[in-house]
Amino acid sequence: MRKIFFALSVLVVLSMVLAACAPKTPAATQAPATQAPATQAPATQAPATQAPQPAGFKSKDPTTLVVAVFGEPETLDPALAYETAGGEIIQNVYEPLIFFKGDQPGEFVPLLAESWTISEDGTTYTFKIRQGVKFHEGGDLTPEDVAYTFQRGLLFGGTHGPQWLLAEPFFGVGIDDVSLLVDPEGNLYDDREGIKAADPAKLLEACQKVKDAIVADNENWTVTMKLAQPWGPFLATIAQTWGSIMDKEWVVANGGWDGSCETWQNYYAIPSEEDPFTTIANGTGPFKLDHWTQGQEIVLVRNENYWREPAKLERVVIKQVNEWGTRFTMLQAGDADFVAVPPENRSQVDELVGERCEFDLNANTYKPCVEVDPNKPLRLYIGQPGVTRTDIFLNFNIAETSNYVGSGKLDGNGIPRDFFSDIHIRKAFAYCFDWDTYIQDVFNGEAVQSPVVSLIGMPGYEADAPKYSFDQAKCEEEFKLADVDKDGIPAGEDPEGDVWTTGFRLQALYNQGNTTRQTVSEILATNISSVNDKFVIETVGLPWPAFLRTIRNKEAPYFVSGWLEDIHDPHNWYVPYMIGTYASRQGLPAELKNQFKELINKGVAETDPAKRHEIYKQLNALYYENVPTILLAVATSHAYEPRYVEGVIRNPIFPGFYYYAISKK
Amino acid sequence: MINYIIRRLLLVPLLLFGVTVLIFAMLQFLTPVDRAALYTRDLPKNERALEGIIKVYGLDRPLYEQYWRWLVGVRDPQTGERRGGILFGDFGWSRTGSQPVAQLIATRFPNTVDLTLWAVAPVILVGIWLGVQAAVHHNGFIDQAGRIFSIIGTSFPTFVFGLLVLMAFYAKLGWFPPGRLSDWASAVVNSPSFHHYTRLLTIDALLNGRLDIFLDALRHMVLPILTLSYINWATFLRVTRSSMLETLRQEYVTTARAKGLPEKDVIYKHARPNAMIPVVTLAGFSVVGLLGGVVITETVFNYPGIGSAAAAAASQLDVVTTLGFALFNGFILIVANLVVDILYAYIDPRVRLS
Repeated sequence: MRKIFFALSVLVVLSMVLAACAPKTPAATQAPATQAPATQAPATQAPATQAPQPAGFKSKDPTTLVVAVFGEPETLDPALAYETAGGEIIQNVYEPLIFFKGDQPGEFVPLLAESWTISEDGTTYTFKIRQGVKFHEGGDLTPEDVAYTFQRGLLFGGTHGPQWLLAEPFFGVGIDDVSLLVDPEGNLYDDREGIKAADPAKLLEACQKVKDAIVADNENWTVTMKLAQPWGPFLATIAQTWGSIMDKEWVVANGGWDGSCETWQNYYAIPSEEDPFTTIANGTGPFKLDHWTQGQEIVLVRNENYWREPAKLERVVIKQVNEWGTRFTMLQAGDADFVAVPPENRSQVDELVGERCEFDLNANTYKPCVEVDPNKPLRLYIGQPGVTRTDIFLNFNIAETSNYVGSGKLDGNGIPRDFFSDIHIRKAFAYCFDWDTYIQDVFNGEAVQSPVVSLIGMPGYEADAPKYSFDQAKCEEEFKLADVDKDGIPAGEDPEGDVWTTGFRLQALYNQGNTTRQTVSEILATNISSVNDKFVIETVGLPWPAFLRTIRNKEAPYFVSGWLEDIHDPHNWYVPYMIGTYASRQGLPAELKNQFKELINKGVAETDPAKRHEIYKQLNALYYENVPTILLAVATSHAYEPRYVEGVIRNPIFPGFYYYAISKK
Repeated sequence: MINYIIRRLLLVPLLLFGVTVLIFAMLQFLTPVDRAALYTRDLPKNERALEGIIKVYGLDRPLYEQYWRWLVGVRDPQTGERRGGILFGDFGWSRTGSQPVAQLIATRFPNTVDLTLWAVAPVILVGIWLGVQAAVHHNGFIDQAGRIFSIIGTSFPTFVFGLLVLMAFYAKLGWFPPGRLSDWASAVVNSPSFHHYTRLLTIDALLNGRLDIFLDALRHMVLPILTLSYINWATFLRVTRSSMLETLRQEYVTTARAKGLPEKDVIYKHARPNAMIPVVTLAGFSVVGLLGGVVITETVFNYPGIGSAAAAAASQLDVVTTLGFALFNGFILIVANLVVDILYAYIDPRVRLS
């Protein structure tokens, strides 16, 4: 999925730049040593300029915003888009019922819904639909459109898109695809031919279930959604791009699903190449899609008939510029307002920063910006935690086919396949990871260690929760407590020898080209070996397909991978880590998974935040105690914008920019 | 002559078939999971997504079935609609281009042709001129200076030279921007009133009577042309120079000089045409190379030609698109070689006989 890739390389890292007025070429690329102190010496200016007035900064063209990025949308169909490049366009062209409140990923305001009510038992959501809203091509927004949009998404299903996030609340825990309604055994996942050939009565029944769950009331102008059980993150789920409302008449007219239960199976798990809505869009949003010339540019123009006040910008041009050097010259020439800056090129752009805005973790928002140089054209936003993390996943039960366990025995030349099912081995590995080096080397110091699976600010998150830290003495102690040969005697005292005296050898894997994963592997390998020179870990880079195959076949002793949240809710983190995707790739024992599952299901059904917090605290403690995964760190923002730009909303959950609020001088 | 051409033409489908088998066979070295992995950029969030991809694209079917599907596609049992099949011009869906591969090639190739059209003259003619000058002033100042100049050009990594001229002529001076068109021109070209007669932008601009757009398009091509020229001159200079030196030593040149012909006539009328034979071959290959897309130059200058699209596809492991480009390049290579051979036969009667 390109989604995670983009988050790592674009969203978290996406930084923007300008070069309008003072396109002073930053004196070569390698002169930060002398310049750095200058940016840190604003002590006298800072208090004086609480609200800096960058009077001199003007753009070339205040009506058009130009963004230079790399990476294109896979599809513009809101039901299928599951990556950030497509999400950004959808977020500006289409609109969901409710939307994020400013820069808060966990608070919501009405958008196409005027208001909503939730039943006592937390299973029925009733949305009052806004009247007088028009789609770009002239259609009127009706409750029927809203119901149709959600029905269409659920029936499209498929494991490659975002619909599993909606399927579970509507169909019940564990039922993450509509195909399970037709065949509960799960043989029809993504099987387009199989679904078409399935029993017509079952197909009809599945479709009817979807239609019964989402009902439009055109008289009262409401849409009612009935969930299978209470679902804490439901609002967070529908505020995303996959909750964007489409115009039923327009979809049908363009060859989409006609809304009938007789035909839905023809659209199940449809790939983007067969979907008519991959490259066209017709929403209610503040911008219309003017054109998309693939590989070159996407142009959005202002929707003059927008139901709110029209946007301030007239045009937004998103250009594909793959080469950083080219993007940098565009910003220097003032032809691009925002450009994507890879982390390794930040030092070049930092030299253009004249204003710094730091994130206040306690207030959970940015502090007022401070001028550091009146002549430099950029504003830097720094310190806001992101929504993605890279971690080390330990494999409890390595497959027999694995080539990465040496001899496969505890003979000093390999590891047994259940090596990591020994809790002391897992703890030893955790104590041997050096977070400070990692944060310094990979993030240039701009990251925060994660004590728990979920993110800062979420229910259950506590900054002072117990966490592992780099401690070689404890690492050694845990290795001596381990009992890998299972004779009941800890390794440190075992007269017949155990892991501490015999040593071990294994191979740690990362995918070639991913330097973050490589660095993580190397830090751990180095520290483990320095505890005992009989411990040998070789870090091996594999080509991407081989890496993925190895993890899928559970052949890697441990692997470094990441997660980018879909919705800002702990549930979206706990499920993959504890019972879902990662848990099964790690071969977590069923007993442990059941303990997790019980708490997870309790947590997601709980709507009272205080109670939820308590449940998730228990879950965190259980995860800390068992340490199936070594949790690393969340990178914090490092984003640039020109000083003539106002109104950028820095919400970490956004797939890209929300252009409605942005203006240029 | 006609026979020769017909024989060569008959070989084309056979060669293309060989190319498809070769390309397809290479793909089969990867397991279904490996090939499914190429559709994702990171671990799929949904555990079942890989199996899903394998199922949707039939990656676990027998080899001959997959090859047949690739060749002729599959019919939808209900609508009877055909999907896929390179024989029907369907090269599949480009994940990186978000459009069918055939369409991607169709929109990118004209840009590459346009660039080639304008780059050919400076690359080849100036290169030849430099070579002739170097040979005529053998071991003189011009010879040495030209060789040093061109060796520097050839040893410059393309992207370094490209970025340098971009810094100088765009970031500093603002004369020649990267990309294909300015925003205002792009708005005009994308409007319905602009007719795409040939899809070559410079030609279409003239046919639409828009001199401003013609100049804007040309302005965006100056730096790519400059870069392509500079890195290619050395080759032309060297080949022309040595061929020319050899020709100048021939007896008929001495005879021409002995007859008292002016030195200009000796060089340009007698020696140069004969020295051109190896240069024509080289020029043919250069044109083919340019038509196949110039990856680095297009990437650095963000020029939307076929090279930058192929590079984007390859770097993102988009096999379907890469295959499409490989096949298309194979096609161009075969056709262009055919044209060069025919031209060659036309220029040099000895070729026909052999």
